[in-house]
Amino acid sequence: MPAITIDKVTKRFLAPGGQTRFIVLDDISLIVGDGEFVSIVGPSGCGKSTLLNIIAGIESYDTGTVTIHPRVAAANAQPRIGYVFQSPRLLNWLTVEKNIHFVLEAQNVPRSKWPDLVAKNLAMVGLAGQERNYPLNLSGGMQQRVAIARALAIEPDILLMDEPFSHLDAITARKLRFDLMDILQRAKPTILFVTHDLSEAVFLSNKIHMMSTRPARIFKRVMIDIPRPRQPEDARVVELEKNLLREFFSVVEA
Amino acid sequence: MTRRWQIAALRAGSILALLLIWWAASKFMNDPQILPGPLAIGRTIVADLQTPGPDGESAYFDIGITLARIVIAFAASMIAGTAIGLAMGLNRLCERSLLTILPLLLTMPTILMVFLATLWFGYSEAGGLVAVMVVVTPYVAVNTFEGTKAMDKTLGDMASAFKARRGLLLRHIYLPQLMPYIFSALHYAFGLTWKIVALAETFGLKHGIGYMFFFWFQQFDIAQTLAWIIMFIVLMLILEHGVFARLEGAVFAWRTAHAH
Repeated sequence: MPAITIDKVTKRFLAPGGQTRFIVLDDISLIVGDGEFVSIVGPSGCGKSTLLNIIAGIESYDTGTVTIHPRVAAANAQPRIGYVFQSPRLLNWLTVEKNIHFVLEAQNVPRSKWPDLVAKNLAMVGLAGQERNYPLNLSGGMQQRVAIARALAIEPDILLMDEPFSHLDAITARKLRFDLMDILQRAKPTILFVTHDLSEAVFLSNKIHMMSTRPARIFKRVMIDIPRPRQPEDARVVELEKNLLREFFSVVEA
Repeated sequence: MTRRWQIAALRAGSILALLLIWWAASKFMNDPQILPGPLAIGRTIVADLQTPGPDGESAYFDIGITLARIVIAFAASMIAGTAIGLAMGLNRLCERSLLTILPLLLTMPTILMVFLATLWFGYSEAGGLVAVMVVVTPYVAVNTFEGTKAMDKTLGDMASAFKARRGLLLRHIYLPQLMPYIFSALHYAFGLTWKIVALAETFGLKHGIGYMFFFWFQQFDIAQTLAWIIMFIVLMLILEHGVFARLEGAVFAWRTAHAH
């Protein structure tokens, strides 16, 4: 069963100051299956973040349809969407715990469940005991962990991740990628992950959709059946990454 | 000596110097009817605080009335100004229409507004309140509006992505980001408020510190007039440094907060 169905979505932006409209997303179709880890890989400015924003409902689009299927087939069940952004986007004036309370309140999660959800998810990202701390006291990597805990706390059906490790140093990013794999063994949301880093995408995903800039289209879809747990240095991972990279440049530089 | 003590000593020194200049000036004028010395004023203040005034009320009654007028008018103006500024920041129609009107109100001379309010509302509490609100609210609104332009849009997007509703946005996204602007408006707005209240009390209202110093001024009692002015200044300084400084410390604790 699909979790997200995107059918022929097109979005145009008005060029700043001018009359000309340029196409940000050109006829994008993709299906994300329930429980899958799907990556969209493309150069910066190819519209991949815009696609996530459209799915999250914070940006509009011109034509096509986006359908999000709730896991629970109850009447008027709203699918819960968690979002991890490139930067943590924490509320610095609230403690770590209250940052999580913020989204729990937004999603109408009953208050009685808050303490458990906070404790469980902070422990999952390795930040147990940081409840009362303020974000500015945490390192960039820890702040991003809080952002991940915040997104997981609402027990999302779908987790959107927009280059969540790109602002971190290589070592922290590597550690967080391993931790993410670990976390996902326990919480099992469907993940749509956006990145410009092919090796990251190959390491993490079941499926990769590769996007080009002009036109902003998906030009290749790859299934990855390398068994987990994977290692970034695994020969099959490296080999696939090398092949995809070659293909990528042949399209982007054409 | 620590830095803290140096600052305290410097402050005490400058106040002492001011009192010294005042004392020297009073000696030079040598006429207590025109400029009494600091000691005489000190004695007057102590006496005023212990005995009922000419209207039969104690000094604390007048101080209390002035305080209540200032607090009510100030709170009303801050709340209205913040609400208007926020509405302008969030709504294009509000922004366009109010941006034309606010500069008109901001240019209005304060003293004229006090006279007009007295004319319209008579010598009533409403007159003072309206005068303060007409002058202070636009100033707070403009500051808050500036703050809305500096808000981090990505936080609003985050909140929308998690489906936060208006009340949550207001409490945790908008107001915290506007706090520095609201606080910078607060100091000036408070200064404006007490000046207008003092003016309104001088010209029309019954009771209050302004009423008292105008009463004594008309009696040509300079010692009493100065005594009441000084009580007023001390009261305002206590509010500024005692109340607002603490409030500011509490609101911005997260900037400097450290674990444990």
